[in-house]
Amino acid sequence: MNRNILVLSMLVLGGVLTTVGFIMAFFFTPPVLGPAVTNEAGRILGYQPLFSQKIFYFHVPVALSSFLVFFFTAFYGVRFLMTKEKQYDTRAKVATEVTLMFVILTMATGVLWTRFEWGRWWVWEPRLTTYFIMTLLVIAYFVLRNSIEDEERRATYAAVFGIIAFIDAPISFAITRIIPSSVHPVVLRSGGGLTGSQLAAFLIGLFGMLMIAYAIFNTRMREELVHDRLEAVKAALEG
Amino acid sequence: MAGEARGLSLRQFKAILHKDIVMELRTKEMITSMGLYALLTMVIYQVALSQSGTAFDPRNIAAGLLWLAFVFTSMLGLNRSLVHEKDQGCLEALLLSPVDRPVIFFAKAIGNLIFLLIVQALTIPVFAFLFLQQGSYAGEWWMIPLALLAGAVGISGVGTLLATMSVNTKGKDFVLAVLFVPLMYPLLLAAVSATSAAVLGGDGSVQQFWTGMGMMAGFDAIMLLASFALYEFIVGA
Repeated sequence: MNRNILVLSMLVLGGVLTTVGFIMAFFFTPPVLGPAVTNEAGRILGYQPLFSQKIFYFHVPVALSSFLVFFFTAFYGVRFLMTKEKQYDTRAKVATEVTLMFVILTMATGVLWTRFEWGRWWVWEPRLTTYFIMTLLVIAYFVLRNSIEDEERRATYAAVFGIIAFIDAPISFAITRIIPSSVHPVVLRSGGGLTGSQLAAFLIGLFGMLMIAYAIFNTRMREELVHDRLEAVKAALEG
Repeated sequence: MAGEARGLSLRQFKAILHKDIVMELRTKEMITSMGLYALLTMVIYQVALSQSGTAFDPRNIAAGLLWLAFVFTSMLGLNRSLVHEKDQGCLEALLLSPVDRPVIFFAKAIGNLIFLLIVQALTIPVFAFLFLQQGSYAGEWWMIPLALLAGAVGISGVGTLLATMSVNTKGKDFVLAVLFVPLMYPLLLAAVSATSAAVLGGDGSVQQFWTGMGMMAGFDAIMLLASFALYEFIVGA
């Protein structure tokens, strides 16, 4: 019962924190300044505020959460291969489901930002490309699971693929960065670091998001456990 | 004792590899199907490029086209190589016999590597004959074979692991494609970059080639190690 209270409070707290972070991002953080605005004589009058940067406070926490949760897919995969206990397979599966949710959110917010900043919906830019590949890997994980009937085999294969995919994701990130693409330049804005209130908004959003991830993971886990128990009761009644 | 065990492993390795090669020499099934598939891909390329005009130089996308052909032919070959094992009950027999699992992995992976290299060696001249008649080749002669080898090692190593999984699923070749393409993405990107640098030349092409080679070597090392370590669980399940 204690655990349920913890999960519930994490969910509520996560919701409150992400909302607070969201509000702070819009009302309490100074805007990031973009290109200089000059008059005809070339004198700098000021800098154009970049409103699109506000998505950073939502996008980056979601992206970081997706990586962290994906780590648990691989972690529980290793645990499963070591112990062969079914609970670790279920945990890995649920972790991948949560990863899929975060990955889709990251993709959606990333594409919105790309459209606004670069004028195009899609650019084959390293971070976007890596994310696209990661989405495909997470989808592939479920395709693999769904095409295996035998429970133990499904668990083993999924664990192996989860581990391999988790190793592949950072390699993909590194290689897309290092291999120069001749078509689109890599656009990197030189960041001057975050000011105090920006950092606060970001961190509050990040912790809120991690709490939500934790709460969703545990809620889904409970659903799985209840489902298993139901199946066991059904089998007992029929037998 | 350790030396004896190593000698035994080597003998087992040779036996499995020998079996695959003898089977291939008798049926010629893998090379024929993969080679023909590569040839058919060339026909598709002709259709794809048919409206690109005379000013278009196919050399600019030659590396990409080549690796595209290799991706599809290798998926075909990998699937076949493991379907044989499974359908004829050979994999089960191998698992029953006292052969170390890593030996099975290496023997199958090397077998797949050899077939892929043969198909690459056959495809390259045909591709050059069909598409690169008027252009010149800029790099050193050994650059392309080196890039092909580095790419083929990664494809057959990880591919053998994935194909062993996919033949035991309902989807078989479809599942292989879904697992294979996103996992191979970084390797293919580096391979195309290195091959392209060799074909096109120009400023900084040597550096681009070695960067691509380094990336491929890193991918091969990490992913082969992971596949090698995880293969035991796959064949055991």
